[in-house]
Amino acid sequence: MSPVLVVAITVVAVLLALLGAAATLVRRRIGLLHVAGTVVLEILLLVQAAIALLALAGGERPAETATFLGYLLGVLLVPVAGLLWARTEPTRWAGGVIVVAGLVVAVMAWRLLQLWEAARG
Amino acid sequence: MGEERAADAGPAAGTGGPGRVLVAVYAVFALAAGARAAVQLSTRFAEAPLAYLLSAVAAVVYVVATVGLARGGRAGRRVAFVAITTELVGVLVVGTLSIVDRAAFPDETVWSVYGRGYGFVPLVLPVLGLLLLRRSAGSATAR
Repeated sequence: MSPVLVVAITVVAVLLALLGAAATLVRRRIGLLHVAGTVVLEILLLVQAAIALLALAGGERPAETATFLGYLLGVLLVPVAGLLWARTEPTRWAGGVIVVAGLVVAVMAWRLLQLWEAARG
Repeated sequence: MGEERAADAGPAAGTGGPGRVLVAVYAVFALAAGARAAVQLSTRFAEAPLAYLLSAVAAVVYVVATVGLARGGRAGRRVAFVAITTELVGVLVVGTLSIVDRAAFPDETVWSVYGRGYGFVPLVLPVLGLLLLRRSAGSATAR
């Protein structure tokens, strides 16, 4: 778990949420930009999961291992589910779904870091 | 972004439009509450059986509400109405109990202190859900 990666994830997630909000505000459907943002976010999350799993395999332990794993793997589903759910929505509110997904990922990334750092004390 | 303008949600919008955003939030809570309950029940059930069982009930309620809202239609809305009403009662009762009797709730649940751990979203969510249901029910009977 690297704080730099968590910051990168947060920046992309918040940007994606802003793009989603923009689409809703100007009454547009989501576009290629939203898809691209989601893909970038998902790649960063996969990198994070790989790094964390390697560290776990190397014997490092976060504060609550079960909860940590739940967040680590659960967060991978959020951008994918958000995008699929938004893509089938033909109105301006598709952007709203992207907002929810982006904010949830940002919160979950920090919660993960918190659990990881807690073990270092 | 494409040239096409988004269609405004028509009166038939059940789960479309703003409701879709609400379903997304409900899905997040179904996942969060479900995962939390699974961890609590499997790792330390004996510590506070009542609180952890309530956690599990909360998770089930969120899942049912999510499915009901997502499916829409008359049956979906009815299921969602029951689930969301249960949710509202649950967050009020558990929220109050967790303040009055702290010993019974040693660990945070989704509904502890009216959902403080989740930015009080669990308290606002059922209200929004019921408003949405009332709106879509109104437009359904008007047709």
